[in-house]
Amino acid sequence: MNTPRSTSEQPSSPDREGAQTTHWLRDRRLRARHRRRALSFFLDWAIWGYVAYAVMFFLNYYWFTRMRIHWYDTLTLPAWGWALTIAATFELAVLCRAFGRSIGLRSFGLELVPADGQPTGVLRRLARILLWHLSVLPLAVGFWGPCEAPWHDRVLGLTLRVSRKRARGRDAADIGPEAQRPAKRAFATQWGVLGFLLGLLTLWLGWLVVQGNLSALVRRAGKAGDLFGQIARPDFRYFVQEDPTFALRKGGFSIVDLMVSTLLMTLLSTVVGTVIAFPLSFLGARNLTAKGPWGWLTYTVVRGFFNIFRAIETLLWATIFAVWVGWGSPLAGVLALTIHTIAALGKLFSEQVESIDAGPVEAIRAAGGNALQVIRYAVVPQVAPSFWAFTLYRWDINVRMSTIIALVGAGGIGNLLFYYKNEGLWSIVGAVVISIVVVVWAMDYLSGWLRERIVR
Amino acid sequence: MTARGMWARLHALTNKLAGAGAALRGGLAPVVLDFVMIGLTGLLLTYTWTWFARGPEQAVYLVIPWWALFLLSVELAGAWESFGVSLGQSLLRVRLLAEDRRPPAFTQRLCHFAAWHVSGLPLFGFLVKPALHERAARLSLQPHITLGSRPPAWYLRSVTWFCMMFATIATAAALGASFSWDSLSRLFSDAWRVAPIWRALVSPSLTVVRDSLSDLVVTLFMAVMATAFAAIIAIPLSFFAARNLSRSPAGRFGYAVIRGAMSILRSIEPIVWAIVFLVWVTSRYASFAGTLALWITSIADLTKLYAERLEAIDEGVIEAIAATGATRLQVMRYAVVPQIVNPYISFTLYRFDINIRMATVVGLIGAGGIGYRLITALTSQRYSEAGTVMLLIVVAVWAIDYLSARFRQRLS
Repeated sequence: MNTPRSTSEQPSSPDREGAQTTHWLRDRRLRARHRRRALSFFLDWAIWGYVAYAVMFFLNYYWFTRMRIHWYDTLTLPAWGWALTIAATFELAVLCRAFGRSIGLRSFGLELVPADGQPTGVLRRLARILLWHLSVLPLAVGFWGPCEAPWHDRVLGLTLRVSRKRARGRDAADIGPEAQRPAKRAFATQWGVLGFLLGLLTLWLGWLVVQGNLSALVRRAGKAGDLFGQIARPDFRYFVQEDPTFALRKGGFSIVDLMVSTLLMTLLSTVVGTVIAFPLSFLGARNLTAKGPWGWLTYTVVRGFFNIFRAIETLLWATIFAVWVGWGSPLAGVLALTIHTIAALGKLFSEQVESIDAGPVEAIRAAGGNALQVIRYAVVPQVAPSFWAFTLYRWDINVRMSTIIALVGAGGIGNLLFYYKNEGLWSIVGAVVISIVVVVWAMDYLSGWLRERIVR
Repeated sequence: MTARGMWARLHALTNKLAGAGAALRGGLAPVVLDFVMIGLTGLLLTYTWTWFARGPEQAVYLVIPWWALFLLSVELAGAWESFGVSLGQSLLRVRLLAEDRRPPAFTQRLCHFAAWHVSGLPLFGFLVKPALHERAARLSLQPHITLGSRPPAWYLRSVTWFCMMFATIATAAALGASFSWDSLSRLFSDAWRVAPIWRALVSPSLTVVRDSLSDLVVTLFMAVMATAFAAIIAIPLSFFAARNLSRSPAGRFGYAVIRGAMSILRSIEPIVWAIVFLVWVTSRYASFAGTLALWITSIADLTKLYAERLEAIDEGVIEAIAATGATRLQVMRYAVVPQIVNPYISFTLYRFDINIRMATVVGLIGAGGIGYRLITALTSQRYSEAGTVMLLIVVAVWAIDYLSARFRQRLS
């Protein structure tokens, strides 16, 4: 291995003198390529692992119990079974990568090509599989040296390079102008065939996992028609008048009562959420805040707050607050909607602030304006329309959300819906559903109309 | 009379009716907006007032008879429009001006207000443009142009004051509607109740994780199945729901039917569908019911998204391919499909994202998956288990969100 780097790559990188001695860990580009190599391998492995899972599931379902039980004990495997499965999936992944372009390689934009331009024969591919075991399995020794490609590729004169389609910058320069090969038809590639089979496998497995059952759907269609009939003849008896048996609080509520209070809940949480998110969004904007160590800290903390609190969804917040302030209390809903509004709007707002034109900011700074004046005269005029649009959009989302948070005990019109559903009074359920649909639709329309006017 | 003459006459009549309808809509819009907002203010004011005066339990929205509130709102709206710049006028950017674009004199305003009672209230005055009462006062609603005139300061506009008043009253009413002393005192004294949830969120119990993973798998497959089958149905449907591809009368009809049906299906929340399907296929097949609920809403949503993308395609390519003598199918294959493949994949992924969230939500009413485990843990007050399940949901949703965002970014 005196000249590990192929001749075709030599002239394309004259700027890297002594690249021979540079370890790939110190070269950003090579590091990225090796990361992609590792990730693509794990994707291939995961795909075959998924197939193995599906096979075990089918074995269990069709031969053993015909029932869906836990994923980890669908078939009680002996220890060597697990070892065998892991080894087999590894081997299959390696096989896929040596013969053709595997799904993992394709997803991460890599391709295995011969460095000398000769076609890769079956023998060379088989040799690669063999050498891979020697080079990777014992502590990945093949990757230790200071070179571009691992040992098993170098010996066989192969390179795993960034594919022509995805190559940018120096990668693209390394590939150089190359004759366009006609693209293969999808069904002639590994991607096409294996992808199609995986799709079918997923649908089959999914049908069993979700307990799909057409006969139940057909057999009880009459029952469903009955139900639809009752819902479609809504009973607006308790639209304005209160239902005496629905005693959530003293006096009970009518549909209109709860609808108004739901809308007020959304109004309150949207307004409070916006008022809090507005100042926070400037602190969470990289271009305004992230200057100096304290600025970075503020920026990171605020953005982290937005990201974490946004990841916990409104319904989960509602769950937490319903446990906290009491089941069925509208306050829980207001708090949940408000917290999620702050996080979601804060993120949208600060992204908007980050995309402003820097010119006015510099102009106001140059004129001696302080931070507040910069925000007031340079930032706010640029972002005001989109802030309003986002707020209205959020209000829309909150209205939708507020109709269902009663499910986890956070108050609102959903209380009635689930109460009558549990009582089996389907025609009143129909009335509630129609009221919700009308209100949501009206809010949607109104907010869309206002947004259009504001942005214009 | 010939059929052609009758047809022309009918056509003229429809045109006239459409014109009257447009005038009615245009003239009525500011009035209706003002009326609704004033009426709402009245209702909310009553609610706030009674909430404070009689206590939260006896708060009502109406103390005066409803017709009195109606009349009062109508009168106030009319007066506001005649004597000032009302909310509706300023939102729709129109002003009541004399013919020479001068602001009206006081007598003209008075005349407009009086005539409005005669022609505006019974609505027939709005059928022509400018409306009859505007003609009587020799005024008309004209588009507002700020050129050359300085608008009054914000604190001198009646709209500002109305909006501030409305915001105050609405906030007060909202506070009244959503706060009760019980829940407020619990907010400050009962934080310990959620301590198990927080504890589980930072240090999940591994046995619960192991047991819940199978439910998480079910939830994931619910979303996958719903999205896949919805895409299979929505892709062909979208070609019939695109305006630019359905120009024939039959196509127009199909377009209207599909779009209408889809917008009805879409406006019903997946949770309601889940309720229906749970009754239909029984809770023995709970996760199937959830999948069906997601499927229905996904079909409606995807058809709309796909069709809108189809309506935005480049027509030039279609004409170019059609000019070479290609059949209809060939035009589809070589002119339409290449333009829509990536957006379609991107929309499908986006919908898959939503479906993952929704799959946990429909689980909450018993339609299987991890949502069902969450709600059972909550109702049986096993809060630390609920916290662990919530952590699983958050992580799964976040991971899928991240992956699908990366994927979509690459597609665009």
